[in-house]
Amino acid sequence: MAAHALLVDLGRCIGCQACVVACKAGNELQEGEANIRIREVVRGKFPNLSGSFVHHRCFHCADAGCVSVCPTGALSKLDGLTAVDAAKCSGCGYCVDACPYGVPKMVDGRVSKCTACLDVVATGGVPYCVQTCPSEAIKFGSREAMLGLAAQRVAEIRGQFPNAQIYGETQLGGLGTLMVLPDDPETLGLPAAPQVPALVNAWQKGIQPLTQGFTALGLITTGLAFLFARRNHRLETAARREAEAVAEKEARDGDVH
Amino acid sequence: MATSTERRVLRYLPEQRLVHWLGVASVLTLLVTGLALLWGPLSFLAWGGVSTLLHRGAALLFVALPVAYFVLNRTKGQELLKEIVTYNREDWEWLKGFPAYFLGRTTHLPKQGRLNAGQKLHHLGTFLAFIAVTVSGLLLWFAKGQLGGAGLAATAAVHDVAMLAVTILIIGHVYFTFVYGALPSMTTGYVSEEYARLEHARWLEEVGADSPASDAAGAPQSVTGD
Ligand code: HEM
Ligand code: SF4
Ligand code: SF4
Ligand code: SF4
Repeated sequence: MAAHALLVDLGRCIGCQACVVACKAGNELQEGEANIRIREVVRGKFPNLSGSFVHHRCFHCADAGCVSVCPTGALSKLDGLTAVDAAKCSGCGYCVDACPYGVPKMVDGRVSKCTACLDVVATGGVPYCVQTCPSEAIKFGSREAMLGLAAQRVAEIRGQFPNAQIYGETQLGGLGTLMVLPDDPETLGLPAAPQVPALVNAWQKGIQPLTQGFTALGLITTGLAFLFARRNHRLETAARREAEAVAEKEARDGDVH
Repeated sequence: MATSTERRVLRYLPEQRLVHWLGVASVLTLLVTGLALLWGPLSFLAWGGVSTLLHRGAALLFVALPVAYFVLNRTKGQELLKEIVTYNREDWEWLKGFPAYFLGRTTHLPKQGRLNAGQKLHHLGTFLAFIAVTVSGLLLWFAKGQLGGAGLAATAAVHDVAMLAVTILIIGHVYFTFVYGALPSMTTGYVSEEYARLEHARWLEEVGADSPASDAAGAPQSVTGD
């Protein structure tokens, strides 16, 4: 399947929290768990204030730090989205530190973040948050179509918001959650160029497999060597005992004379 | 096989054996629950946070053990620390003969003291890895969520590599224990005189000459019959 994406249009969001509630109900989230958090950001100086509702939610990065560190495969990339298989999660919490956006949370010892409603998508539906938004601020479809739609929307609102732009076209290899922003990312509290530290990849792709490889190698080497070593030791011991016995006997015979 | 009249030599006091086996229990628990964090097939252990809890419990025991060793018997603790950093020419000769020792041969090796050069290096390595595991582990415990991506990767990499070192050391340690039949020294506290002569001849001479038949640790004891 081609890459999918969510499109969140901050020019349209009215901050009603309907998506937050729909996500919670649809995905049967626990008390205190939330895959979307909405923050109101007020810009400008009185009386020229303008407010925006900024969504804090998984950006489904193509180059996802959380997937890089996840040791169990609980997090993985699927069709441009970052899938979650909570049953595989070991609760290590590495993804919490590795996400440049601080998205994943630990709830009850397991990871909690937006799953892109992949179970719903698999049966031909769209995510709960998309279904429910009364002002059509959240869309879901092929990433290409979403980018087209986003460009169209940016053009529409440019008159009102001269700094309007698409967020997520290139960040972290291209985000699977695109946003239409009315202003610069930084003024809205979003990093313009988020980064996954190089060390994160080195650790996951180098050190973790190395650890498993060396352990296996150690076990195999000693396992094989054991067969030879035991035999050698037994032979040596037998030879030494025989020599000692002979020496002892000679000594005893000597005593008699 | 030790004959029924074989003399035995006291090697480890009860408190040393206790600390050792508690160490084994804690390290094996740490390994399994640690692997559960890294290896998908074991991640079911994370259910309800069980493996994480066990990992932390075992970590507390792990960190407390060296302290316990010194509290229970300071002389032995100091002796161990001193021995693992003291190497002489015989140790060097022994290490050169290591490949054949690995395959079960000993006749070519110089006489060894209480610890042979391989044991000294093993115990020293264990001690260094212990420090690295402890420091990085405490950071992962108390600073997770504040380390950031790079900090987390660096800390976890140190933790992983140190635990890898511990694992390799354990594999080698258990290997030699069973190749040379060394297990009784840590279970009963005694080794046969034959074993002592073979593996630690200089030690046998020293403790034999020092204080025959005394009760002090390391002194030879005549124990007839089993
Ligand atoms: C099932 C696993 C293990 C077995 C069967 C085993 C067996 C033994 C034996 C027989 C000795 C005495 C050797 C001698 O005569 O000097 C010994 C000593 C020692 N072992 Fe282990 N061991 C095991 C696991 C471990 C682990 C996990 C560690 C630490 C990571 C460890 C660290 C040590 C140390 C430091 C000593 C020296 C103690 C001293 O001199 O006071 N062992 N072990
Ligand atoms: S935003 Fe964070 S949790 Fe979502 S895919 Fe990117 S790194 Fe993973
Ligand atoms: S907490 Fe779960 S999802 Fe996050 S990295 Fe660890 S195993 Fe993966
Ligand atoms: S895509 Fe699904 S899981 Fe993600 S925020 Fe929307 S409703 Fe919640």
